[in-house]
Amino acid sequence: MDYSAEVERRFDAPAGAGNVSGEGPGIAAGEAEDKVLNVWVRFEVQADGDTIREARFRVYGCPHTIAAASWIAESLRGAPVSALERLDIDGLKRALNVPKEKLGKLLRIEDAVRACAEQLGAAGTRPRVDG
Amino acid sequence: MTTRRRIYLDHAATSPVDPAVSAEMMRHLGADGTFANPSSSHAMGREAARAVERARRVIAARIGADPAGLVFTSGATEANNLAIKGVLAAARPGRRHLVTTRIEHKSVLDAAAAVERYGCDVTYVGCDGSGLVSPDEIERAIRPETSLVSVMHVNNETGMVQPIAAVAEICRAHRVPLHVDAAQSAGKLLLDVRRDGVALCSLTAHKCGGPKGIGALWIRDDVTVVPLLHGGEQQRGLRPGTLPTHQIAGMGKAFELADPAEEGPRLAALRDRLREALERIDGARVNGDPARAAPHILNVAFPGVDGEALRFALREIAVSAGSACMSDNPEASHVLSAMGLTDAAATSSIRFSVGRTTTADEIDAAATRVRDAVERLRRLALGAPAWCSAWRSARLTDDPVFG
Repeated sequence: MDYSAEVERRFDAPAGAGNVSGEGPGIAAGEAEDKVLNVWVRFEVQADGDTIREARFRVYGCPHTIAAASWIAESLRGAPVSALERLDIDGLKRALNVPKEKLGKLLRIEDAVRACAEQLGAAGTRPRVDG
Repeated sequence: MTTRRRIYLDHAATSPVDPAVSAEMMRHLGADGTFANPSSSHAMGREAARAVERARRVIAARIGADPAGLVFTSGATEANNLAIKGVLAAARPGRRHLVTTRIEHKSVLDAAAAVERYGCDVTYVGCDGSGLVSPDEIERAIRPETSLVSVMHVNNETGMVQPIAAVAEICRAHRVPLHVDAAQSAGKLLLDVRRDGVALCSLTAHKCGGPKGIGALWIRDDVTVVPLLHGGEQQRGLRPGTLPTHQIAGMGKAFELADPAEEGPRLAALRDRLREALERIDGARVNGDPARAAPHILNVAFPGVDGEALRFALREIAVSAGSACMSDNPEASHVLSAMGLTDAAATSSIRFSVGRTTTADEIDAAATRVRDAVERLRRLALGAPAWCSAWRSARLTDDPVFG
């Protein structure tokens, strides 16, 4: 298995790893897992109005999964809340050079992040974004 | 980026060529050396043939075998193929049944699958939770039409030493030849084909300080084998082709240097030092029974970490996976699965193997790096569900990872 330099860098120092501190109406968490793909991911975000102030993750998975979670957490910080439902998966694939056989794992990360969006929407923190 | 010292703990995969071996090989390569074709009748050819015969005697002596029965091959994979396909092809129709085990090396399992496709019957015997094959199960699998039993000496993933003498006794009682894949045991563990009643034995050079690309199949004189290759009368037509004098001489030198009585205890001490250090990691569990394992292999499961991630974290340490964890649907090791490990436990397992160049300092450094990597990956997965974080329940009475 080949790993890009960006995967190696993020695997060795996964920026965004951990939990969002505190609790409140702007904080949401989402999890997704797939035993067959050997992946579990939890995302926690803190929104302030329509802006994501913090995004953190916990992950069990391969180096690509860890690096991808880190890349997404960084890309979400400062982004509008709607970004939770429109992750730039193509940009992620390019940035990390994710092999085709690993793409299923990225979907689990996407699921965890979407679960955050749903939770924020249900809590009325922001208007639900359709589509 | 800090570059960390690389540590080689993958001697069961291959070992560096011993300087004495490469020096010996060089003597048979150049114009001023014994480069001539050993099958040639001129003086230079005869000199090369003598070098081949010297090596043959040394290699045969290491397994207590008659040198005349040694057929040089490209390695143990070819030797295993020659043994299985060659014996099954030589068997009378109606007597083409092979008994082997589920924990053999792929070169045996794939050769067995090939003879099945050619119309032979194959019975695969399992192993117990520690990775040992039961001689009684082998006996139950033998039928009147069985023409070969094939059992490895040392399992390449767990290091478990199989009960060859007991299996051989059963084979002798049923008049079935026993083939032993001894690729992992040369230089580490004594095998005496005459004493133990082995009929065919596969060997390789590169796991004990010899070069890659050379191995041998020893065939007892009462066993008939049909060749895989055709094209010459070398090696009694069993394996035609110009004999590679330098490779054979290198293998001979490697086997001369590989003394199990001397090397075995040193390797066992290094392995035990590593095992004791790794067992201090919460939840780490040795796959197999260390008391019945070869001295150079240690296979450990680290529940709560993804195997691919752990190997990547340890990329400056050369170790092997017990699994091919390279796809979206990682396939667990067939050996660890046969031992009853769950996929999660099997894919979190790592094989460490020590060799002649391994030092105690390297063992200590490797153990520290493994502990750090496991702890880092587990911290990253804090809060994960039980199926991927069961290491925390490993101390409880019910251990779901190892079912």
